[in-house]
Amino acid sequence: MSVRNPVVTALKTWLIPRRYGVMRWSYSLQRISGVAITLYFVLHIGETANVIGGSQVWSIPSYEYARQVWTETVEFLSNPFFDAGLAVLAFLIFFHTSNGVRLFLTHFGILLGKPHRPEYPYHPASMTKAQLTIFWVSILLAVAALLYSLNIFFKVILP
Amino acid sequence: MSREARIMMLHYITGLVIIVAGAIHLATVFLVSPYEESLRFDNTPWSVINVYRNSLLAGSLEALLLAVAFHGFNGLRVILLELHQGRTWTRAVNVAVTVAAIAVVINGTKTIFIASML
Repeated sequence: MSVRNPVVTALKTWLIPRRYGVMRWSYSLQRISGVAITLYFVLHIGETANVIGGSQVWSIPSYEYARQVWTETVEFLSNPFFDAGLAVLAFLIFFHTSNGVRLFLTHFGILLGKPHRPEYPYHPASMTKAQLTIFWVSILLAVAALLYSLNIFFKVILP
Repeated sequence: MSREARIMMLHYITGLVIIVAGAIHLATVFLVSPYEESLRFDNTPWSVINVYRNSLLAGSLEALLLAVAFHGFNGLRVILLELHQGRTWTRAVNVAVTVAAIAVVINGTKTIFIASML
């Protein structure tokens, strides 16, 4: 029997949500989106530092210098690759927020089923219809945000 | 409440702050004016510099910065502490995540502060 690296096993359980039901998908998506959004957040703070001329600026720069650096930044970032990335981020942010509301409610015991004697086929009491509904509403909101941003960036759906 | 329970409570509170401040941020960029105009440096009502000069909007950006820095880096911390356990690892993760969050907050606050005075 091979000895498995526990870190690899842990990563597999959260990156491969198949065969465990819809709540495992919720768990995986919540984590993947969270990590992706945090990464974007750090880059976004670096990117917006160009409003004042860049991260290395520690005093008030000249207005024209800041204006020039920001205009160049916007030009550099306005290409299909970054726009597609932002559209994916819109999906992840809206899913994470809406599904996060479900987790918030769950944490305080709202919308959780009542405990009962375990009987075949062992449906967990916590997986109520309201829980599943909020998960699917989160997916819908995320898809809507994806389509909205694709339309903003690429004008593909509406003129 | 234990330390970890307090941190988790703050995780949920910052989550709620992000819903409000994030909605304001997205609205100023996408809803109140065309996206291209929002990205301009100046000369449009909702241009970058006009948003930073509005103290209410700049304040909500600062709130968003603080809340996302805490929420995001605490989320990373939870994931990293779940992947591997140990006293040294826990301390290293806690320190690394705190230092990174503070660095991002300092950088972002500086941008908001200087941009509002440009």
